[in-house]
Amino acid sequence: MRPTTLARLALAGSRTDTLRVVLTAASAALATLLFVLAAAVATIPHLGDSSGGSETWARQYRLQVLVEPGLRPGVIMALALLTIPVLALAGQCGRLGAPARDRRLATIRLAGATPGQAVLVAAAETGVASGLGSVAGLALYLVGRRVLHRPDADGRLLLPTDVVPPAWALVAIVLGLPLLATGVAALLLRRVAFTPYGIARQVRRRSPRVWVGLLMGIGVALVGSGQAVARWAPDLPDWVLPVQFFAGVLAGTCGLVFGTGWISAATGRVLLRFGRGPAALLAARRLMADPWSGSRVFAVLLVGVLFGAGAAGLRAHIMTIMAVEADSNRWSAQAQGEQYLPDGRADFHATAFTLVDGVVAVAVGLSAAAMLVAVAEGIVSRRRAYASLVATGVPRRVLARAALLQALAPAVPAVVLALTVGGALARAFGDEARSGGYDNTICVGGDWSACEEPGSTKLVEVWVPEFVRATPVPFAHLALLGAGTLAAVALTVAVGLLFLRPATDLTELRAV
Amino acid sequence: MPHVLLGLLSTGPKHGYDLKRSHDEHLPRARPVAFAQVYTTLGRLVRDGFAAEAGHDRAGGPERTSYEITGSGRAELAGWLDQVDPPAPFVTSTLLAKVTVALLVDDAERARAYLTAQRQAHTARLRELTAAKTDADAAFADVIGADYAIAHLDADLRWLTTTLERVATLGGDQK
Amino acid sequence: MIIEGRSLVRSYGATPALRGVSVAVDEGEILAVTGPSGCGKSTLLHCLAGIMRPDGGEVIYRDQRVSDLSEAARARLRRTDFGVLFQFGQLVMELTAAENVALPLLLAGTGRREARTAALSWLDRLGVRDLADQRPGEVSGGQQQRVALARALVTEPRVLFADEPTGALDTLAGEQVLGHLTRLAREQGTTVILVTHDARVAGYADRELCLRDGRVDASGLGLVSEAAR
Repeated sequence: MRPTTLARLALAGSRTDTLRVVLTAASAALATLLFVLAAAVATIPHLGDSSGGSETWARQYRLQVLVEPGLRPGVIMALALLTIPVLALAGQCGRLGAPARDRRLATIRLAGATPGQAVLVAAAETGVASGLGSVAGLALYLVGRRVLHRPDADGRLLLPTDVVPPAWALVAIVLGLPLLATGVAALLLRRVAFTPYGIARQVRRRSPRVWVGLLMGIGVALVGSGQAVARWAPDLPDWVLPVQFFAGVLAGTCGLVFGTGWISAATGRVLLRFGRGPAALLAARRLMADPWSGSRVFAVLLVGVLFGAGAAGLRAHIMTIMAVEADSNRWSAQAQGEQYLPDGRADFHATAFTLVDGVVAVAVGLSAAAMLVAVAEGIVSRRRAYASLVATGVPRRVLARAALLQALAPAVPAVVLALTVGGALARAFGDEARSGGYDNTICVGGDWSACEEPGSTKLVEVWVPEFVRATPVPFAHLALLGAGTLAAVALTVAVGLLFLRPATDLTELRAV
Repeated sequence: MPHVLLGLLSTGPKHGYDLKRSHDEHLPRARPVAFAQVYTTLGRLVRDGFAAEAGHDRAGGPERTSYEITGSGRAELAGWLDQVDPPAPFVTSTLLAKVTVALLVDDAERARAYLTAQRQAHTARLRELTAAKTDADAAFADVIGADYAIAHLDADLRWLTTTLERVATLGGDQK
Repeated sequence: MIIEGRSLVRSYGATPALRGVSVAVDEGEILAVTGPSGCGKSTLLHCLAGIMRPDGGEVIYRDQRVSDLSEAARARLRRTDFGVLFQFGQLVMELTAAENVALPLLLAGTGRREARTAALSWLDRLGVRDLADQRPGEVSGGQQQRVALARALVTEPRVLFADEPTGALDTLAGEQVLGHLTRLAREQGTTVILVTHDARVAGYADRELCLRDGRVDASGLGLVSEAAR
């Protein structure tokens, strides 16, 4: 097959196909932008030696996370992680209008293409689309760099627009991303065997197992036992604890991701048992019939919630540490007869966590947008049955309620679970903060030059009482996160339901 | 006709009256056969050695002769069944003839009236046969007989429609 | 007379589908609506069933002007008084056969147990009781249509609208569906409006209404007299 033939076949199609190509390209552009931005942050030159003092700060930026070199890896990580929901969005977009594309591929097979060629045609579409998207993303970055390069009154920049990542990095991103997307597309198509007479999709029938719950438990246990291990075996090498912690988070996250199908199926069973009315029946049966539908996006959404909950827990913990240290500092200041002046550390941490919250919100929003595609596809692919039901007098609101239930019923327990696991992982770090409980030399009056004179009576040894604060469970924060996520899901379904009216248009019955 | 009687005899000896009844029962949609025809045919079968007299009985009535199939009769029957019938070598149908003539005659109104009436007759018969076929008491022979007739009526109707469309298209082309 | 369409007109954009069709159907009658594809027969069925509102003319069902009712009221009417059977694809693939049949009853507020009992009895009458807990994807096309017929009849409708109900089936499977349909309709006194392009299917009806180019074709052969033109 010549490349021109391949391109012609890959880009042939209807309006839905065009929409899919455009969305794929847009996601690729967004992902490219994020990667290039991450590369740009990595390119910010290191100043001074590596002692970490303020002389290494890149003071030309407004954002503290860019100024301090120690914080930049976190920014790079966050940007890279943000590409995950973007890529999930791209993956879901790939399913848009897929039945029509699958039929087209079947006819291509009928015309004599080998199975491999059919997959190639499908994957090539993704490749071409994401390639164009990547180039567009790069162009967007180059234009944006000039447009946003506006120093404020202090001569500081919002973004690292003063540096350009090395050319090899840009080439690697622009070439690598489409290749990755094509590979993933081919991988996802492995389940679809294109035959000349139609599509045999091997649906995952296997019911999700309970071991996923175990995985989540192991995750929490690994993280939770960290401190105990450190106390009992203080001679362990340095790397053990971080590895244990990372493994724990990974196990918890994997449990959640693999658990989405199980949660869907279980919710379906419960709904079937206790639900009332036809909407509940429809939703329950659909959840049970295909618990994995849309699970990719759902998983990304839940991972977002999990990280959000973890961040909320960590924030509460660090704020408690800050508070308890403030307690002992305040006590010391009082003992010295000085005015207590809080340092800026708490504020700094709060700002950092607010940034994390922002990232989580964007990730959840993006995944919700990807869910929209899943909801819309679910409706469109069932349009004949839906139109028939409407013809027999089923009110559209019953179908709408079924779709809403189908999305929200598993989302509620899953989000609660993600909040619990995330919160528990953070809590495993520590559930209380202590400070004080030691002898300290203080200088009454605070005039150290006077105190340091030999024989000064103002220099006294005092016992700083121990201050203990339990880390509060950040219920309000978690509730906000959970409610926000569910609201995003509900909003998504509500938007998706706009497809219901055209899909149940009775002219659908005419199309044979 | 002789082969149908041979086929009926192949299930066991029968006398003339039995044969007539059996024939009408198995071919309910065919034209009923006359006694005279049964006896003439039987005579010819005996003459050719395909059937033979099997015995006489007098069950409370006039004496009746029953007949049975012979070895050569079975061979003849098998030969007939094996023979492939030439698929419609000549089209001989009153319908075809009438429609052709109706289209030739330059009286559109009359042709229209004839064709409409003919179609109505066809559909009425089709409904009748469908009713007979779906009757709960319908025997297997009734069903397959009705199926045969329905298929032919359906073919006639489709041919009629296509022919008229063809005529309409031709007329349009000429204009 | 139970349902009547008077001078029905309906177009799709600039394409006229019905150009003034009048039809009256008696209670318990089985009417076949025939004609070549694109003649407007499905559109007529959709208008009569209140699925679609005609652009002109009116539909009267038992002294009620269906064409004037709101969409909600027509949906209610379709649910309570009408049954609909299409060519294919009307069953919800995720639900079992019994649940599909029970669906209209559940919508009407019947309890789950009661609805299932009724569904099973209808599946039994159609000879597919064994398939009650199978999903539509697991049974043959003819069996699917029988389940769909059970769903259309479970509410004991007064009028059953069937649009090419055997269009996707082979002759014998189609014959079984039609046999059940006409037998049950006659038992229940249900009026049937049966849309088909097949003369053999129309043979199951009491009467035939032939359409051509959106008009009633009395000859059934597209013959329009010079006077009528």
